[in-house]
Amino acid sequence: MNLDTQTTYIRKRQYRFRNAPLDGQALKALIRAGLTWLRTNQETVNALNVYPVPDGDTGINMVLTMQAAYDEISNSPEHNFGNMIHAVAQGALMGARGNSGVILSQIWRGLARGSGEIDILDGPSMVNAFNEARDTAYKGVVRPVEGTILTVAKDIASAAEAALSETEDPVTILERVVSEADESVQRTPELLDVLKKAGVVDAGGKGLFYILEGMLRYINGQPLDEPLTTVQPLSEMSLADTIDTIEPGQDYEIVVDFRPFTPLDLGNFYSELEKIGTSIQVGEGEGIYRMHIHVEKDRRYEPIDYTMSLGTITKVAMENLIEQMEEIERLTRGSAVNLAPVEPGQIAVVTVSPGRGISRVFASLGVANVVEGGQTMNPSTEDILSAFENLPTDKVIILPNNKNIIMAAKSATELTVKNATVIPTCTIPQGLAAMFRLAPDGDYDQVVADMNAALEEVETGEITTAIRNVEIDSVKVEEGEIIALLNGKLVYSAQSLEEASLTLLEKAEASEYELVTLFYGADVSKHEANHIADTIRNAHPNLEIELQDGGQPHYQFILSIE
Amino acid sequence: MTGETTPIGSIHVSPRAVATIAHQAAIESYGVVGLAPKNLINNLTNVLVKDPTQGVDVHYDGENIIIDVYIVIEYGTRIKSVASSVANTVRFHVEKALGMEVNQVNVHVSGLRISNLD
Repeated sequence: MNLDTQTTYIRKRQYRFRNAPLDGQALKALIRAGLTWLRTNQETVNALNVYPVPDGDTGINMVLTMQAAYDEISNSPEHNFGNMIHAVAQGALMGARGNSGVILSQIWRGLARGSGEIDILDGPSMVNAFNEARDTAYKGVVRPVEGTILTVAKDIASAAEAALSETEDPVTILERVVSEADESVQRTPELLDVLKKAGVVDAGGKGLFYILEGMLRYINGQPLDEPLTTVQPLSEMSLADTIDTIEPGQDYEIVVDFRPFTPLDLGNFYSELEKIGTSIQVGEGEGIYRMHIHVEKDRRYEPIDYTMSLGTITKVAMENLIEQMEEIERLTRGSAVNLAPVEPGQIAVVTVSPGRGISRVFASLGVANVVEGGQTMNPSTEDILSAFENLPTDKVIILPNNKNIIMAAKSATELTVKNATVIPTCTIPQGLAAMFRLAPDGDYDQVVADMNAALEEVETGEITTAIRNVEIDSVKVEEGEIIALLNGKLVYSAQSLEEASLTLLEKAEASEYELVTLFYGADVSKHEANHIADTIRNAHPNLEIELQDGGQPHYQFILSIE
Repeated sequence: MTGETTPIGSIHVSPRAVATIAHQAAIESYGVVGLAPKNLINNLTNVLVKDPTQGVDVHYDGENIIIDVYIVIEYGTRIKSVASSVANTVRFHVEKALGMEVNQVNVHVSGLRISNLD
């Protein structure tokens, strides 16, 4: 807050209270504010319960007690502060519920007695009231236990007293009181072992803090109906939904259940977690918090270390998402390929594809039908013919994507009455390059010409495993070695996929191009593929590398170099 | 009373032990400023010996545990709330210590102490 806004803020506050002095009606508004803020934070207070005593929901009990206090005065036209606070105390007394409610009613009783019969609350009577509240609260029990709401009542009385030596402004004193209440609550576990063991602060003390803070928030014009910290119930956390939204590098899912030593500052908690990972969710139930996060492998212990510094961990679950995703992928690889619909009169493309992933890429580019087949499973003329015979158009283009299939495709064009043309694509990348030129409503001859021209624009790399010893084009290959083919020609033989991929790109003079699309085959895991893609990225920082699940057999990788 | 049989013998918890737990629980309940002696004779002996079970009666009929608590409450607190708090607290602590269900906790308000007159 800079100086200007601070002055405005003070002026605004003074204005409010110059026009509405702390009389009975002002107290009514403050009581309502305290009640509202307490009710807003009721669940937080409930979550602090240590004993599962039947009437032990401290938050609820305090809210009901404050509600009774407010009901007592809600219709009262009383302007005298003293009369009004006595009515509040009476209401709290009659409505006191549970242990915490009874103590709260005693605090109100003390505040009323200490205020006396004043018309308008001033600093000295306010301090008097807090002192009397402390005394009355302590008198209500044989053996006062420190580290409870009693301690908080004592600490705020001292704070009010100390503030009085500097100011008589009740609002300034209230500010000191609220700030001390906050700190006093934080100290309760140091005084009461049972709190420390449970990793919580005192619930009653926290409730009293919320009542006082609500009053101050009202004076400052801050909202009272939204809790500052929000958590969702554990039951509403849907971890299943997060599985399909993992981002690159977020390989591990960590779930930690813990009971914080002190109430969580959720804002701070979230911002610390955001430094570690993504997909952060926090849930709460019965004082236990569940933290869920996705992190990279190397940082998988950080969220655990961090929560350990905040509380007692009750459960940790760690899962390797990459493995899970691959499992899901394996199960869904057979999923449907969404082919483009064809309108009568449009140009329809039929393509041959060796794998689901590649089929999906073709489909996304607007292919009307796919014939399964490739290097070792050449489709028949019949297969290709039936793929386009039933399409509602007579303008057909066929992409064989393999030089061994071009002949069968040409035969199919001779057996149909439709206007069918084969674009002699020898590789998948050529087929894809051709597809980019498809204009379904365009001129047929023009589209055919464009597609033929596109074949020259792309280099095709293929990586596969040699099935026998051979020497071709002065490259010596032994069975089992990884071989690289550039536009169908053997260019290199290597021991590893990395080496083969990198050399292939060198031979293709890849640095002259812009985009390399990597289709990884059915025998390659996504993880391995990612690794190769990263290796290529490091070696060729100027190239854009795109990774696609091709799903083709035999070829570990098919590279489209454009 | 309140026994349990284990393979190597049985465990007996005396009503006095239970009463001590109940006494402690009651005295720490907010609003309770004392436990009351049940009758004049108890009152006289208490002057001589401090009784850790004062104001508590425990009955066990072989099946049910019934606890009677005699309390003095601070004037100006809500008697009903204090009494039901005492009942809950006593039951909770005794059940926790004993591992047995307490069937009844009867709270008798023997008197009020006036520290302040409003």
